[in-house]
Amino acid sequence: MPTTQHRRTKRTTKAGDGATQAAAASPAPRAPRGDGRGKYVYCIIGSTEPLRFGAIGIGAQPSDVHTINYRDIAAIVSDTPLEVHDATRENVLAHERVNETVMRDHTVIPMSFGTVFKTRDDIIELLRAAYDAFCDVLGKMQGKVEFGVKVLWDRDEMVREIERDDEDVRQLKKEIATQKGSTYFARVQYGRLIDQALQTRSERCVNDIFETLGDVSVASRANKPIGDKMIMNAAFLVARDKEAAFDARLKAIGARYGALTFKYTGPWPPYNFVNIRLKLERAQPE
Amino acid sequence: MPVERTTGGTSLIDVLDRVLDKGIVIDAWVRVSLVGIDLITVEARIVVASIDTYIRYSEAVGQVSSASKPAQVDSRTHEAVLAENEALRAQLSAAATDGRVRTRRRRHAQAV
Repeated sequence: MPTTQHRRTKRTTKAGDGATQAAAASPAPRAPRGDGRGKYVYCIIGSTEPLRFGAIGIGAQPSDVHTINYRDIAAIVSDTPLEVHDATRENVLAHERVNETVMRDHTVIPMSFGTVFKTRDDIIELLRAAYDAFCDVLGKMQGKVEFGVKVLWDRDEMVREIERDDEDVRQLKKEIATQKGSTYFARVQYGRLIDQALQTRSERCVNDIFETLGDVSVASRANKPIGDKMIMNAAFLVARDKEAAFDARLKAIGARYGALTFKYTGPWPPYNFVNIRLKLERAQPE
Repeated sequence: MPVERTTGGTSLIDVLDRVLDKGIVIDAWVRVSLVGIDLITVEARIVVASIDTYIRYSEAVGQVSSASKPAQVDSRTHEAVLAENEALRAQLSAAATDGRVRTRRRRHAQAV
């Protein structure tokens, strides 16, 4: 009976009410039913054979991570309660951990966090429906990984540097210090000059870093910097065989810009370079 | 300051930056509805709404500018399409009320 099973999942899900109704209204269910268990999908890889990756799955009791194969591609999944997974630290890191493990030997297209399917058949349907898109992207990402590069600077230190190097700013500062009357306009002017100089410097610097990493990477994306210390928040797509070169190049840049802080992470699945949006279309009930 | 690489999974912020809305994304509505509905094979089927790999931008415009390009390129195309839509719609409604436009077109088609 469908209702009993749905009642069982209801406790664990916010969508419980709507889901129960929808299920009751839907046509007679098909076997086999997942008994409140679903399958969490981590990523898609190219593989013709079934693979296992050990008990590293999402959830309090990590379950076995394995493939569900369709033709020459496969979804990496693990059994999980049929519920909406909150983006807690443990869950998010588990998602990433599985991706990183699979990535060691395979090119992956990462799934965004929290995608749960009810049955194996549903995942096969996913693989079948988006087969061309997956193959296309797998081909393009073949042997490539992503690296994150965030660059931070010490704004105050930069301002001091500008005051030291920039003739106009230095002049203005002296004026403000020695002037007897109101210094209001001089100070406004000073602030404007500093802002401009900071902007110019950060742009020059960021462009230089992008350029220097250009020929050791396949592509790059600049995301919005977070906070006022960050001047660059980028992702680079790098071929596996250029990884060492990329590494060396970035270290050289770090040495050149001693005043900057680099946060260098990876290898990541190519999250920033793959964007596949899927949606459900209502089919005619049989 | 020396640049050290850390593996992805060590920084929660960096992970969150990526996993929440990047990669393969299924509509939020779907994700919720997955719970408890007899899914795809019965009621609905999955379709690819859009697919993008950001490689092509860098090939087209070079590394540096590729950085901020995608959004700009997209929005400009989007606007252009919207404008074109608008223009076409205007033409259409004009054609619907004004027979001449239609006639002229038909004549043109015959000439071709």
